[in-house]
Amino acid sequence: MTKPLFGLCVLTLLLAAVAGGLLRVGVVLPGAGDAPWLGYAGEFHAALMIGGFLGSVIGLERAMAVKRRLAFIAPLASVLGGLCLLRGQAAAGAWLLVAAAAAFVIVNLVVVRRQFAAHTVLLLVGALAWLAGNLLFATGARPAAPLPWWFAFLVMTIAAERLEMTRVMRRGPEVGLLLFAVLALMLASAAWFVASPASGGLLFGIALTLLAAWFGWFDVARRTIYAHGLARYMAVALLGGYAWLAVAGLAWIGMAFGLPLRDTALHALGLGFVVSMMMGHAPVILPAIARVKLTFGGWFYAPLIALHVSLALRLGVGYTDLSWRARGAVFNAAALALFIATIAGAAWAWRHQHGAVRVREIHS
Amino acid sequence: MTSASAFPFAGPAPLRRGIEAALQRVVDPELALSIVDVGLVYGVTVTETQAHVLLTMTSAACPVVDLIIEDIEAELDGAVPAGMTIQVELTWAPPWSSDRMSEGAKRFMGW
Repeated sequence: MTKPLFGLCVLTLLLAAVAGGLLRVGVVLPGAGDAPWLGYAGEFHAALMIGGFLGSVIGLERAMAVKRRLAFIAPLASVLGGLCLLRGQAAAGAWLLVAAAAAFVIVNLVVVRRQFAAHTVLLLVGALAWLAGNLLFATGARPAAPLPWWFAFLVMTIAAERLEMTRVMRRGPEVGLLLFAVLALMLASAAWFVASPASGGLLFGIALTLLAAWFGWFDVARRTIYAHGLARYMAVALLGGYAWLAVAGLAWIGMAFGLPLRDTALHALGLGFVVSMMMGHAPVILPAIARVKLTFGGWFYAPLIALHVSLALRLGVGYTDLSWRARGAVFNAAALALFIATIAGAAWAWRHQHGAVRVREIHS
Repeated sequence: MTSASAFPFAGPAPLRRGIEAALQRVVDPELALSIVDVGLVYGVTVTETQAHVLLTMTSAACPVVDLIIEDIEAELDGAVPAGMTIQVELTWAPPWSSDRMSEGAKRFMGW
């Protein structure tokens, strides 16, 4: 599969997952009508967003890092799996996602063999969590059962990267041990959730809340917020994400006590934490994986702020007023669209600037 | 933030200052710190035909390694004589540790 086609498929999966999410709050994408794919996108919203889109991007990112051709099997399988889900081929899609996660586990074993360190082991455990979630999904477990595992995959991937970054700060070994303890609790609660959603969800919420405290206390973003340009932007995205992670943790706890906080539990985590993190890192990761150079500028803050404000509207005002929940979700989608436009604009700006430099060089 | 003799250098002395300055301009995007200050440059060897940089990363799972190598090549291109080839070699031994950070980098990170 050529790179542009792969990129197009990943983007399709993101847009379909967003459309499916909107359908779930009662908003039908204009022009989509009653297209079959939209129904499947709604049904498989989480699998498409986490496995099809994020799983493919993370798989591609890791494949680029290990520089082995076979490593690209993982993102290829997750993209195909996502596309199968969109076509309503649920079993094929789910088992392709299992294959993607299994391949991704092997890729992470290569990383661990290359560098045996706390953060590489965490990346491997995160991959195993994805595999566990995908197996639950493929074997037809209760629909919610894979969710804590899928989120654990994303959270552990992020935690591993953040733990690695803390090495530039003065930190004792207890900092890493504390993180392992919290993540062990998260994995145990994900397993317990399969048997008992209430108590498993409670423990999962406690783990997320403790993790937010760990990030807030130890993360390098507390220093780089005083830097400038891109580094500061990333720190803002990270710290904002940690606040939403805490909200998500409390929402999982509240949900265990019967409060109607499902939307908050899932989307403070998925959008507030994970997507904020993604927006923060995109100016660095996209040039690495898509080989597209970007010009960073203050305009990157626009979609980031839009994401956080729209999420506050959706989960705050929308908690009591369902029409605002739907409106907030539409604004979430608009924030993502604005982000895609920002990336496209930044790529155009880079080409424009560097093209102009080349023209000057030719004429001088 | 500069660090004198932050890495071993072997080669013609007149080139040293320019190469160090070029590598100082290559920045880790998240930390806003030069790769020299983070301690990622293990050494530079310059012969008559080639400038060789021995580089490490803090993580084997780091996807931006190619971008950093590209930046090194672009910066060194202006610092070494025309026609000289530039080779950047990635190594994981010895593993990076925070002992390699410059004093300025450590200060920025709150050490």
